[in-house]
Amino acid sequence: MTSIFSVWDVGLALLVGLVLARYLGIYMARVFMDRPTLLDGFFAPIERGIYRLVGTNPRRAMGWKEYAASLLLLNAFALVFVLVLLMEQSLLPYNFWSAQGMSWDLAFHTSASFTTNTDFQHYAGEGGVSLLADLAGLQMLMFLSAVSGLCVVVAFIRGFVRRDGTLGNFWADATRAVTRVFFPLAVICALIFVLMGVDQTLAQATTVPDLGGGGMLVPSGPLASWGGIELLGSNGGGYFASNFAHPLQAPTAVVLLTGAVIMMLIPFATPFMFGEMTRRPREAYPLIAAVLAIFLVALGLFFIFELGNPALSGLPVSQSAGYGLMGGETRFTLGEDALFQVTSIYANVGATAMALQSLTPGAQMVLLWGMFLQDAPGGVGTGFGMLLVNALLAVFIAGLMVGRTPEYLGCKIGRSEMKWAAVSLLSHPFAILVPLALTVSWPGLLHATAGNTPQGFTEILYEFTSEAANNGSGMGYPGYAGDTTPYFNVLGGVIMLVGRFLPIIAMLAIGGALAREPTLPPGPGTLRTQSATFTIYLIGFLLVVSGLLFLPVLALGPFSSGVTLP
Amino acid sequence: MSVTAEVGPMPAGARVSVRRRSHTNVGLVVKTSLKKFHPKEQVRNPIMFVVYVCFFLVLTIALVPSAFPDLLREGFDRSYFLEVAIILLLTLWFANLAEAIAEAQGKAQADSLRTMRSGIQARQVLPDGRRTWVSPSHLHMGDLVEARPGDTIPLDGDVVKGGALIDESMMTGESEAALRESGGDRTSVLGGSRVLRGTIEVRVTAEPGTSFLDKMIKLVESTSRDKSPNELSLMIILTALTTALLVVVVTLAYLLRFSGLGSLNIATLIALVVCLAPTTIGGLLSAIGISGVNRVARSNVVAKSGKAIEAAGDLDILILDKTGTITVGNRLAVQLVPAPSVSATEVQKAALLASTLDDTPEGRSIARLAHLRGARLDPSVRVEEGRVVPFTPSRRMSGFVLADGTEAMKGAMSAVEDYAGAMPVPLRQTAMDASRQGMTPLVIAVNKRIMGVVLLKDVVKPGIHSRLQELKLMGIRTIMCTGDNRLTAASIAKESGVDDFVAEAKPETKLELIQREKLYGHLVAMTGDGTNDAPALARADVGLAMNSGTSAAKEAGNMVDLDSDPTKIIEVISIGKQLLITRGALTTFSITNDVAKYFAIVPAIFVGSVNVAALNVLGLANPKLAVLAALLFNALMIPALIPLALTGASFRPATAVELLRRNLVLYGAGGLVSAFAGIKLLYIAMSYLTPSMLGGLVSSLLRLVGVG
Repeated sequence: MTSIFSVWDVGLALLVGLVLARYLGIYMARVFMDRPTLLDGFFAPIERGIYRLVGTNPRRAMGWKEYAASLLLLNAFALVFVLVLLMEQSLLPYNFWSAQGMSWDLAFHTSASFTTNTDFQHYAGEGGVSLLADLAGLQMLMFLSAVSGLCVVVAFIRGFVRRDGTLGNFWADATRAVTRVFFPLAVICALIFVLMGVDQTLAQATTVPDLGGGGMLVPSGPLASWGGIELLGSNGGGYFASNFAHPLQAPTAVVLLTGAVIMMLIPFATPFMFGEMTRRPREAYPLIAAVLAIFLVALGLFFIFELGNPALSGLPVSQSAGYGLMGGETRFTLGEDALFQVTSIYANVGATAMALQSLTPGAQMVLLWGMFLQDAPGGVGTGFGMLLVNALLAVFIAGLMVGRTPEYLGCKIGRSEMKWAAVSLLSHPFAILVPLALTVSWPGLLHATAGNTPQGFTEILYEFTSEAANNGSGMGYPGYAGDTTPYFNVLGGVIMLVGRFLPIIAMLAIGGALAREPTLPPGPGTLRTQSATFTIYLIGFLLVVSGLLFLPVLALGPFSSGVTLP
Repeated sequence: MSVTAEVGPMPAGARVSVRRRSHTNVGLVVKTSLKKFHPKEQVRNPIMFVVYVCFFLVLTIALVPSAFPDLLREGFDRSYFLEVAIILLLTLWFANLAEAIAEAQGKAQADSLRTMRSGIQARQVLPDGRRTWVSPSHLHMGDLVEARPGDTIPLDGDVVKGGALIDESMMTGESEAALRESGGDRTSVLGGSRVLRGTIEVRVTAEPGTSFLDKMIKLVESTSRDKSPNELSLMIILTALTTALLVVVVTLAYLLRFSGLGSLNIATLIALVVCLAPTTIGGLLSAIGISGVNRVARSNVVAKSGKAIEAAGDLDILILDKTGTITVGNRLAVQLVPAPSVSATEVQKAALLASTLDDTPEGRSIARLAHLRGARLDPSVRVEEGRVVPFTPSRRMSGFVLADGTEAMKGAMSAVEDYAGAMPVPLRQTAMDASRQGMTPLVIAVNKRIMGVVLLKDVVKPGIHSRLQELKLMGIRTIMCTGDNRLTAASIAKESGVDDFVAEAKPETKLELIQREKLYGHLVAMTGDGTNDAPALARADVGLAMNSGTSAAKEAGNMVDLDSDPTKIIEVISIGKQLLITRGALTTFSITNDVAKYFAIVPAIFVGSVNVAALNVLGLANPKLAVLAALLFNALMIPALIPLALTGASFRPATAVELLRRNLVLYGAGGLVSAFAGIKLLYIAMSYLTPSMLGGLVSSLLRLVGVG
């Protein structure tokens, strides 16, 4: 029997994840600073080939507008390509389960979802998409969206370093992100999963003997490679509808913990990369400390809230297994489940190993708060980018408080930076609350009984929050009438696109503005951002701002259900 | 016609006695604050404009509830709506009041400056030499005016003829008369100052309306002042926050109606918007900016723009002249060392003789030292028959020659050695040692016999060390500029505590220094008074020109210190920093206040929900009273913080992290605690009032005028 106190493996996984992240961060910095790396001999010729094919000069640096335009162009192209692929999949080969072509709205939602690194799935995982569309469409987008996110943060960070207004070459960054980071890491992750017993097959089904002595066909597929990039790129879309709660996808606790480590890798490596790229490694620590503090508290709270169901206390029911008795994957310990689930939501992956609608209101609140924050540590690239935007806002106010025009890493924070930071700050509440108010007020959109309970409200809130944060995890079918109606598909697609690309444009614009500011040498009057005071202040800033914006909806949802300690 | 032709007495009533006074007119302040309710004024501040719109919304609903059947399904309580409306009106008025007070302070200052000038008549010197009385407003740049004892100088200008003692106390508050004379670096006179002794001719250097006085008046009384980049950036953030919170509350209305969980009371939701919007900082922001300019003006510095004041807060390099800023200005004799074969008395006597009638400060200090040690001139010496040998750069010696041919000379070592032969070795050693310690040895020789050495020393101003220490704490590196050699400079630098120094500086050195430091991204300030400082003053981010300096210097700098005190720059830096700190502190205060207000209002919205009651940490049982208490607290914070906005947050030089910690505790944690405590106290106090007493009063008033 598993004990809820056997959390040593959780601690070990956290430690391994952080240590690996540190070295990965340093390696990624070398990649994007064009320093020699181990794999040069192998990849450099391939990259040269790609550059020639695309017809770009990798040395030609772009301003932020050109960088953003290139990124948007590539993403738009991919979105349309996959949209068509999904609509026409029934006409194409490798369709073992005879998936039907998707309706235009479902195809739009799915394509937008995977382009924006959200991977919210309104289709049923294993049956709704052909293998061809899975691999050439969705899995391709899993790489592309992760690559795009990483490029954005790389360009943003360059804004702190460069003084000529340029942020680098998008095509070169994207190529190197594929060849040097995501391709090798995805291969390694897939191999590790295979070694741990995860299926990797193109057969799409395994025959399993059933109790009657015959055999039954159980859907399967390239689960190891899919799971690798799903978690590595903070995508989170499951090959199966039940995602990492599926016994073929996560056969053992070790797979689950390894999955958590993989999810932590790039989001926690990015601050280290930032330290290296800005040549101020120590500046990474306060940011990591703030993120880690929030993350660990969330993990602890989630664990505590799931220890038992307060509604059952006093009844003759044993709650020694934890989980508040519902929603947990009882093959694993609560600690293992909690680590996977909290990491998945806080790193904006969105993969699930539990049934989120069955969690206690407190645990649901913890998960929602992670998506309100988006940067503890957040998804690949954009999570850390969001943290930098918030840090700039925090530094601005802190800078005023010490009596100097605020500056961060020697860059003056001017109007242009604050203008775009404001856009980023506003985009999240807009993307969540406006559609939410619209949906609940428009007659006939929701099933008559939906949302009349606090739990029902939490589910609708969760859907839009997950889409706006590009998280991708879902909590049931909040529409009751099915959230796969054209309304939910189109609205969801738009929320995801806004939630993704508005902050991305803001980050690149801030990077561009920073790159035009003169560097200021640090002096004793400069606010040192490496102090414990600043770290605590930053934590407070992140929590207060997200709390101010979202406390009312938390009150309507989880708090009305009753957030109580077991 | 003779050039000195008289023009008769000054017209009657032209001479007014002026005294700087500064008081604010309460009636005027209230009137201005009421005028600011005009929508055109309100729309300039997006945060307060939200409150403004909210006020009219609540008021309209309270007056004509029948027009809003949809909003009022929950039952309508007119007195509650009226109470909310009244508090919103108060919030707006408090914000107007803050701005009106700051403006009135500026205006009072401008008025007192303006009275200085009214009634002045100028004695213009016409090209043909005649004098004629004209009003200063008819003078133009380049015109000549004559000022005699008792006259007030009409406009800023340069003395082109003569010299005079001038009383600038009306302008600067400095009671000691200043000497202004043609030629050299002390030619500039200020419009508004009065001639005490001597007659001068002044060439007007400013058109009427453009003198420093006018600039100062314009700056302190203009309401449409330039907003600084920082203020604009802060406004962007505050507006974004307000917009976001507006979205939160507007959507909340729909969500509440859908879920049927909380009570959908439009007045409560409006109270939530106003409480959450950063009204404390929003209401005080412009008062903070105006009062910054006022404070600078009050410390007798004329800033040509508000931006320069803020730039002062950002400085990280300050270039200081050694002479006059760090040291008292002159080297003074501190020690007399006789040559080996000479007695102490002899060398004292020689020193005294060599400094006879020498009116340079150095010479006088040598004479004083010798006199102090007991040396007196022989009675046989007939000073009036002797002849002073003045110091010239080529001679590098000065001295006195008696009628009998006795030559007593003093000068630099090499010069005196050329004149009197090599110095005795021990004496040379003493001189070298002294000069290594930053002293200046002057060798004294009588009739080509070396008598000894007098050591002169730069005396550091008292108190300068601690002021420089303050600057260091603020993160400002000080660089001393001096024409002295390295050794002397190093010694003074060490004694005064400056961080760095440039020795053997030439006039253009300062400019080069500023350009170099700016290249590295530093923000540089300097003080200066001479014409050759002008290019550097113009190039510096903050150039503080001395009022006693030349017009060119004052034109080039972006601030002029009327007191001509170079260390005043420290005060200006403090004011600049205070300006930023006040804004940051009140923003933090506003935001942490919000947290407490949430805990008062959200439980009031979800009054029926047992589960949400857990959020009611303040235990406010009556939801409407809780909302009113939070709203009233929000309104009262503005007047409570007006004094802070006007005087600026206290600023003690400290490292940035210490400042952050202190201000976070003071305004961050303080904002949280004070709001929790304040709302609870107001709630208790208000619960003692008869229920809706205020609202009842207003309702009956409305009935009286026939609206209700």
